[in-house]
Amino acid sequence: MLGATIYLQLAIAGLAIGAVYALVALAIVIPYKASGVLNFGQGELATLGAYAALVLASFQVPYGVAFALVLLGGAVFGMLIERLLIRPIANAPAFTVVIATFAIGLAIKSAISVRWGDTVFSVEGPFGDAPLLFAGLRANPTSLWIVLCTVAVTVLLTLFFRYARTGKAMRAVALNPEAATLMGIRVHATYRWAWAISAAIGALAGLLVAPVVGVNPEIGQLIMRGLVAAVLGGFTSIAGAVVGGLAVGLIETFASIAVGSTFKNLVPFIVLLLLLALRPHGLFGAREVHRV
Amino acid sequence: MIVVAALLLAGAVVGSYPAYMMGMAMVNVVAAIGLNLLVGNSGQISLCHSSFMAIGAYSAALLAAYARVPFWVAIPCGTALAAGVGALLALPARRLGGIYLALATLGFLQIVQIALEEWSGVTGGVRGLKIPKPELWPGAVLTPFAVYGVVAAGCVLAVWTAHNLLHSRLGRELNALRLSPHAAQALGISLARIKLTAFALSAAYAGFAGGLFAQLVGFIDPNEFGISAAVRQLTFIVVGGMGSLAGSVLGAAVLSGLPELLRPVREYNDLVFAIALMAFMLFLPNGLVVLWRGALGRCLGRRAAVA
Repeated sequence: MLGATIYLQLAIAGLAIGAVYALVALAIVIPYKASGVLNFGQGELATLGAYAALVLASFQVPYGVAFALVLLGGAVFGMLIERLLIRPIANAPAFTVVIATFAIGLAIKSAISVRWGDTVFSVEGPFGDAPLLFAGLRANPTSLWIVLCTVAVTVLLTLFFRYARTGKAMRAVALNPEAATLMGIRVHATYRWAWAISAAIGALAGLLVAPVVGVNPEIGQLIMRGLVAAVLGGFTSIAGAVVGGLAVGLIETFASIAVGSTFKNLVPFIVLLLLLALRPHGLFGAREVHRV
Repeated sequence: MIVVAALLLAGAVVGSYPAYMMGMAMVNVVAAIGLNLLVGNSGQISLCHSSFMAIGAYSAALLAAYARVPFWVAIPCGTALAAGVGALLALPARRLGGIYLALATLGFLQIVQIALEEWSGVTGGVRGLKIPKPELWPGAVLTPFAVYGVVAAGCVLAVWTAHNLLHSRLGRELNALRLSPHAAQALGISLARIKLTAFALSAAYAGFAGGLFAQLVGFIDPNEFGISAAVRQLTFIVVGGMGSLAGSVLGAAVLSGLPELLRPVREYNDLVFAIALMAFMLFLPNGLVVLWRGALGRCLGRRAAVA
């Protein structure tokens, strides 16, 4: 019986960290689906969100206001990146775009290092640290808040893509940009929205994870887990990204008991390589067919 | 030979620290050449070039430290091992393209990185690994200037082999793979074989660069071979010129000097690199080598047509 409790406890921990990975995976998948650009700088947008939270907290801004400001700021920043850097090279080879997004990440990370150094700053979660006890299980309120936010984002995104005009336009552009243009959809506007939403979600991930890991320049490393999650989920679907993120969180947590904490970090990447070798379209994604 | 002599002379004239920096630049040139073969010529994305450099550096260092193998055996061993691992990575990677290849290579980089950090009994972990002074044979230790000579000779060897390679059948096949895989296939080029060769070759150059690096620096730690090193090497070829040997040399040489110029504002190093990368992507996508060619006129026009 004790064993079962431990496993449940671990599952809670895994899901909480997995929820952050899920957010990062969503932030990666949305612009990829819309415009075919994989943003390798996404992790640094999370870092930026965390530092924004730090700065706002130092000005005694209430959590709710800071939350809204970080989302808004992330969205504006995402639009700027799309307009200034991605659009001019949209027709370049895949390699150029990959490197350009890497450069964004590197620029943000080094700018942050110049300003704040490697110090890890701690920020308080919105609901304190006292664990909640529930049926013999304990859960950190911050973790619950993260899971809640991830669920909310997932539901909102699903509704957005199903019912909102802009959301439907984004799906149309993803399917066939030319046909969408002919139907009167402004393709560039949908790209801009995709980047805005994605950057806002990325910044949110940073804001949420900040109380857990502390604000430091390495938060961007989240992108590695986010990418594994996105590949696991098949890179094209909202549900896939979320399930992928939770799965990576669980795999990582349980791997730490199976192979020890030293090598648990290896496990997600071995999963990634195996997946890419055996099922590159992920567990849920549609197979991409290339015809000559 | 003449170039090696000239480089030796230059190294002797400028004194020990500048010579060390020039050695460093030459190591970067070797690494950039390897990366450019894979990325610039054959059009495959790689984000794990620094990992192959790590494999070359660590195996050369460990052979020297534990088996007292002389450097001229240890470096080729490291090179061969890197090439072997490169070929292994190519087995899954050759079926992937675009971002999936980027992801696979990024995953590989992380695995190597974690292995170097966690397998500390052998690699020294995050505290790094000290390398014994390079020996010609047990007992005969090279002077720093001789090490510089070895690096210079290695660099010239790399440029020479890459030049010949690019003008051979294999070089044309690599370019064909990038320009039109379908046409290449229709002409009877086996894409799988050529991708495997490209990965192995590129990894071999990286491993060679790693071996030279280990001899030159005398101390290695996993940080030297992380993602920022991989991106820095990509910057070399983007700034220099993709798919061009002159571009690799030019980009690596210029950007290796840059940190020295930026010494007063050291912490801005990475920032400058990132901004240079973005600026070149936007405004000079074909790299410095274009300016170079403009100056030289039609002299290099033939190669421009190939690249």
